[in-house]
Amino acid sequence: MKPVLFEVQDLSVRAGNFMLSDISFSLEAGQYFIVLGPTGCGKTMLLETLAGLRNPIRGEIFLQGQAITSLPPEARQFGFAYQDSLLYPFLTVKENIFFGARAQKRHQEQEILHRADNLVEVMGIAALLDRYPSSLSGGEKQRVSLARALLTYPPLLLLDEPLASLDPQTHRSMQELLREIHRKEGLGIIHVTHDFNEALQLGTDLLVMNHGKVLQQGKPSDVFLQPSSLDIANFLLGENLLEGTIEWREGRAWFKQDGSDLAIGPLDVGKIPKKEAKKITLLIRAGDLMLSRQNENEHTGHNSWCSVIERIEFNSTHIEVVCAGQGRYRVILSRSEWKRLDLQIGSPVRISVHTDDIHIIQN
Amino acid sequence: MVSKQKSKAEKRRKPSPFYCFFWLILISLVMFLAVLIYGLISYGNWGAIMAIIRDPEFHFSLTFTLRTSMIATFFAALAAIPSGYLLARCKKPGMVLIDTLLDIPIVLPPLISGIALLILFGPLLGGYLTKLGLDMVFSPRGVVAAQWFIATPYAIKAIKQAFEAVDSRMENVARTLGFRPAMVFWRVTIPLSKNGLISGMIMAWTRALGEFGATAMLAGITRMKTETLSVAIFLNMSIGELEFAVSTAIVMLVISLAVLIALKVFLRNEVKV
Repeated sequence: MKPVLFEVQDLSVRAGNFMLSDISFSLEAGQYFIVLGPTGCGKTMLLETLAGLRNPIRGEIFLQGQAITSLPPEARQFGFAYQDSLLYPFLTVKENIFFGARAQKRHQEQEILHRADNLVEVMGIAALLDRYPSSLSGGEKQRVSLARALLTYPPLLLLDEPLASLDPQTHRSMQELLREIHRKEGLGIIHVTHDFNEALQLGTDLLVMNHGKVLQQGKPSDVFLQPSSLDIANFLLGENLLEGTIEWREGRAWFKQDGSDLAIGPLDVGKIPKKEAKKITLLIRAGDLMLSRQNENEHTGHNSWCSVIERIEFNSTHIEVVCAGQGRYRVILSRSEWKRLDLQIGSPVRISVHTDDIHIIQN
Repeated sequence: MVSKQKSKAEKRRKPSPFYCFFWLILISLVMFLAVLIYGLISYGNWGAIMAIIRDPEFHFSLTFTLRTSMIATFFAALAAIPSGYLLARCKKPGMVLIDTLLDIPIVLPPLISGIALLILFGPLLGGYLTKLGLDMVFSPRGVVAAQWFIATPYAIKAIKQAFEAVDSRMENVARTLGFRPAMVFWRVTIPLSKNGLISGMIMAWTRALGEFGATAMLAGITRMKTETLSVAIFLNMSIGELEFAVSTAIVMLVISLAVLIALKVFLRNEVKV
């Protein structure tokens, strides 16, 4: 187990009527920690508090075991990059990159000069060094902002929605760049975002928050598949949330969907929150549902049912199908699967799911 | 072909009455000011203006006004930059009261400001100031004090707006990069608000340049001693020297216009951010 790099204990911060309450988490060296939450949930406020830009009313922050809660931001020297890059318009790209090193009077150190050369190469901004920020694209600005944040070897990199205002192509290349920086530098990163795809693709660890509170922590794929509450499932765009009741037959639990005859199960008894609770919500991810032509019976079994294709949405990487019948379900198909099935709107289909892919949400 | 179609389409598009009304107001205002300036200039004559420029009284009042107004603007900047910054950045409830208090010289008639200053620097503090050799009443120092008092709130307002326009996250980034608050202010806030600060100081200077009421009350109207350009105009108007008064007014107008044009050209030539 790696040593703990950064730890936050019961942190509470107030800003007007809004409050971050009892935030606790820890970060090991080399972790890519994602803070996920909707707009206005307090993500940026949390990041600014970690950087020392806001004073908490309670709680402690530790860096490598040392309490740093009372240290000002200039003493913490975490790398910080905001969503809109915030380069200084009166400085050239090169001057922007060296701005922090100049503050620390390290701008003439050989190590820093060498580091700058490396960063400029990795970021692909060598041709931009003498230009002013006003002549750069959004992606270029963000690269310069990252280089500026990384130049003086910060112990921790704090990223406030760094990809949020980029076009899809730049978003993709910046995401690759962040992954590469994380792999090469091996430094701890805390990245706040409202985009759960970004969280899944980049994060090694995830914290979900809303209304200033932590809702769930864990590995991104675990949180994605097993959200701990209906709120989180909704925020993570849980495609198929089925409400119903539990029926016990011969000691096994079955899910009976409200308003239809559909029964799914047997459910994993260990995952049922309270044995006496009858009302329950199931989450089945769109990618876990399987689709077959109704007369082919490819996936027959306990958990399969008939439905009809109501809507088809074509995406660049997959096809999303909405089926109506015994409830409404979203199913994601690969392009090859879609071609093989050759379905149209109105086609009768059979939907099926493995018991392992049925997740119980605690209401 | 395309251009013909476009011109037809443009012809079909009727101007909005809303914009027409606003244009009407703006054009009326511009015409009013143009006629006003034309009237002033046409009333003076070139020979009189040249004679005035060589006149020792005019020479005194011009250099005296420039000197006092610049000193007043310097002290206004010293007061307005920290005050404007705190008013822009600190959003605690009590700041509204402070902001309102600082606006008082703007809403107060200059004569009343002058009386208040006269009481402060006369009966209240006069004795102490005399001991320190810093007499204000009926002295050139009083001119600077009155100009400073009237110009500072305008400077604070303009500078506060300039600081408010600076994204505080720019300052945050500098802190995380290792700058202490004072260095952030000099290295980030001042460069980012430079245009607004210059505009604010020019505004304060032009306000000090034309100050009359408070100056007259505190420093008095003494020829060749506390005689600013405004005071010179008043003195000469009061004894029927209309030509001197109008020529002085024209020179003041030219100075003000030259400063405003220079400012606008300078700000336009600045690197767009």
